[in-house]
Amino acid sequence: MNLLWQGIVNGVLLGGLYALMALGLALVWGVLNIVNLAHGALIMLGGYVCYYLFTGAHIDPFVALPITAAVLFVVGYAIQRRLLNLVIRAPMFNTLLITFGLDVVLTYAAQIAFSADFRTVNPSYAGANFSLLGATVPVVRLLAFVIALALTFGLWLFLTRTPLGRAIRATSQNLVAARLYGVEPRRIYALTFGIGAALAGAAGALYGVVSQLNPYIGTSLTAKSFVIAIIGGLSNPLGVIVGGLVLGLVESMTSLYIGATYTNVASFGILVLVLIVRPTGLLGRTA
Amino acid sequence: MDAVLSVNGLSKRFSGLTAVAHVSFELGRGEILGLIGPNGAGKTTLVNLISGALEPSDGELVFEGRSIGGLPPFRRAHLGIGRTFQIMRPFPGLTVRDNVAVGALFGTGGGERDLAKARAIAHEKLDFVGLARVADRPADALGGPDRKRLELAKALAMNPRLLLLDEVMAGLNLSELEEVIAIIRKVRDGGVSVLVIEHVMKAIRSLSDRLLVLHHGEMIAEGTPEHVLEDPAVVEAYLGKRRE
Amino acid sequence: MRARVVVTLCVVVAVLLAGVPWIASPATIEFGINMLLLAALAQSWNIIGGYTGYPSFGNSVFYGLGSYGTAVAMLSWQLPFGVGLVVGAVIAVVFALLLGRAVLRLRGHYFAICTLGVAEVMTAIVSNLEITGRNQGLVLPLLKGNVLFYELSLALVVVATLVVWWIARSRFGFGLVAIRENEEAAASMGVDTTRYKIFAFAISAAIGAVAGGIHAYWITFIDPVSAFDIGLNVKMIIMAVFGGPGSILGPVVGAFVLSAISEVLSSEISTVAGLFFGIVIVVAVVFMPRGIADLLRRFHTYRWRYFAANVRATRV
Repeated sequence: MNLLWQGIVNGVLLGGLYALMALGLALVWGVLNIVNLAHGALIMLGGYVCYYLFTGAHIDPFVALPITAAVLFVVGYAIQRRLLNLVIRAPMFNTLLITFGLDVVLTYAAQIAFSADFRTVNPSYAGANFSLLGATVPVVRLLAFVIALALTFGLWLFLTRTPLGRAIRATSQNLVAARLYGVEPRRIYALTFGIGAALAGAAGALYGVVSQLNPYIGTSLTAKSFVIAIIGGLSNPLGVIVGGLVLGLVESMTSLYIGATYTNVASFGILVLVLIVRPTGLLGRTA
Repeated sequence: MDAVLSVNGLSKRFSGLTAVAHVSFELGRGEILGLIGPNGAGKTTLVNLISGALEPSDGELVFEGRSIGGLPPFRRAHLGIGRTFQIMRPFPGLTVRDNVAVGALFGTGGGERDLAKARAIAHEKLDFVGLARVADRPADALGGPDRKRLELAKALAMNPRLLLLDEVMAGLNLSELEEVIAIIRKVRDGGVSVLVIEHVMKAIRSLSDRLLVLHHGEMIAEGTPEHVLEDPAVVEAYLGKRRE
Repeated sequence: MRARVVVTLCVVVAVLLAGVPWIASPATIEFGINMLLLAALAQSWNIIGGYTGYPSFGNSVFYGLGSYGTAVAMLSWQLPFGVGLVVGAVIAVVFALLLGRAVLRLRGHYFAICTLGVAEVMTAIVSNLEITGRNQGLVLPLLKGNVLFYELSLALVVVATLVVWWIARSRFGFGLVAIRENEEAAASMGVDTTRYKIFAFAISAAIGAVAGGIHAYWITFIDPVSAFDIGLNVKMIIMAVFGGPGSILGPVVGAFVLSAISEVLSSEISTVAGLFFGIVIVVAVVFMPRGIADLLRRFHTYRWRYFAANVRATRV
């Protein structure tokens, strides 16, 4: 019983972070119709930015988080503006391939710049935890969970309540409607991708605190983000919270009751099943 | 009259919305039946039901004495049902000739097995619709009116016994219109039954043996063009549409 | 006339390649085996991805099933290598037939991602099975002599290319291209789309599995992570797309060119080779999205404007 409860707590805390990881991917997919295979690499990059702000400039990781997001926003904006806008009307397969190329470039560039060693952002309070009804709750994981949910909710407010957010949503419907808002599609695309990258950066900063970084984590994080986006659907940013929690709980329960080596079978098994049974996601419809 | 296609009580509902409601009619051998109605009346849905792109919620479809409900689209094509698409769908990466050759390779009875023969049939059909001059161009290089002809040629290459034409005349000028009407008449004279959806009223009036009017998915009139176009219910459906 | 020149050229190149082991160093022969196997894999992907238009990320699964099928047949059932290859191919084809029925209903991104998921699941399953040696993998008997493996790989490339050549000029191939270009229209014209797609998937699986089997016996060691490596699937795609998806020779040319470049670079530093690969993909997608085959076809009319025209067609 106690083990189960601890498993649930672990799964939920992990799920919050997963939701934030998938958020940027789902946003870019829904608005630009680009499945960004470099999304995990952007998360990885965010992790390293946070790591160097912490070890180099001694900035607390949770303070470094907004700085990291800002840096990644600039990176994402530039990638879309200078590169992806060149192929935005190409067949879906080409955009898939170019973001894969980006993933490769970022991964190897990271290996050259940061080396292949494992890194972790390790503030003084990293080991702090408290007990919740018998389950151990690490403070940094709880903080990461709260921040992830707050950012997800913040994006939802931004998309539904602000003129710019509405323009972004209109762009996902059609370009003509976007022009009616008086915004240039080129800039909206770049802004959207920038926001997606900023969210990846924030997720990366949190990931560096709760787990370990190396240049190769990107691919599996991209794959997990997919699973979450597919489960949650693309129509509502809050869907990723459900998707993230489902994946977090499934992984935690699988490693608890079946074995840690089966977590990938479980999470990707869910992906395959959801796609075959209900290609539009468990919640809502895709664009 | 010997019925090629009988439609009995056909309905299609999309999550609450009824696109086609209890439609019944028969189409005779060598007959040209015009299907008209305001936008959103369910005309294209009806064609999709007959070609098998959609499954009906209710009702029965009988083609040449055999029930075709539940058959996938390719089987219906093998039986001899050919169609065009309102939104034109050439295979953009293929040449015009090979676009049409696909129809010959897979149409009625499973199509022609021999590639050279299929290409010969394709050329003949292109000649028939007046596209022989562009046979070697890629299909996506064609302009609007030529794409309409290409759609027609693709369907004809299938050697169909029933031809479903979804707005093949929209956007054509007067002389092009007359050419296409002449083509359809020639096809019919070869014993093919034709169901034509059309908005160009003059064309459909002169072309059709009989007219069928759909409005909000329901059949509101059926009969000779002269008779149907003076029917008060039909006039109202169209005028009512105009007032919106 | 032009076609005859190309065919003659291909035969000459194949004969010359067959003679390479008698003059080349062992290292060159090893490079040649890798290159030829990649060419065969790119060609196998070309059938489902290039001709049918279904961007499969699951072809590495066929390769992995071929590797393991061959290995298990030789180790557990004491069958000869040739029979092992057949066993591997049969397992992969059966898997493709079953999987295809389920996943070939999905389109575009969804198909790509679903096959990616299947690849991940298969890796994990094989890492947990007793007969496949779990995480430790399997060790095959050692057979000295690279020449046999080189010639086998070359034969596989030739067979795969002949299969694609047959597809390109057959009724079956017309059906596949019609599916790629517009599946709904293809169905309404009488193409049995489901059967055709599954059949294409199965042919692709058979070629990929044989490549996996040859590689397994050559390397004499297989483990789940390398046998089901998704990176290998990505290489097939890149080589096929770089060369020209949906063309007969493009994927083979793409595999040869990219393998050669990557070999030259990785002899310096492997990280730089990886980086270069990424840059090649990005640049190729932007400037020559239809591959070398299309570049060669149109360059003489467009000249340098070819690249600008490609960008103009897709940018916003």
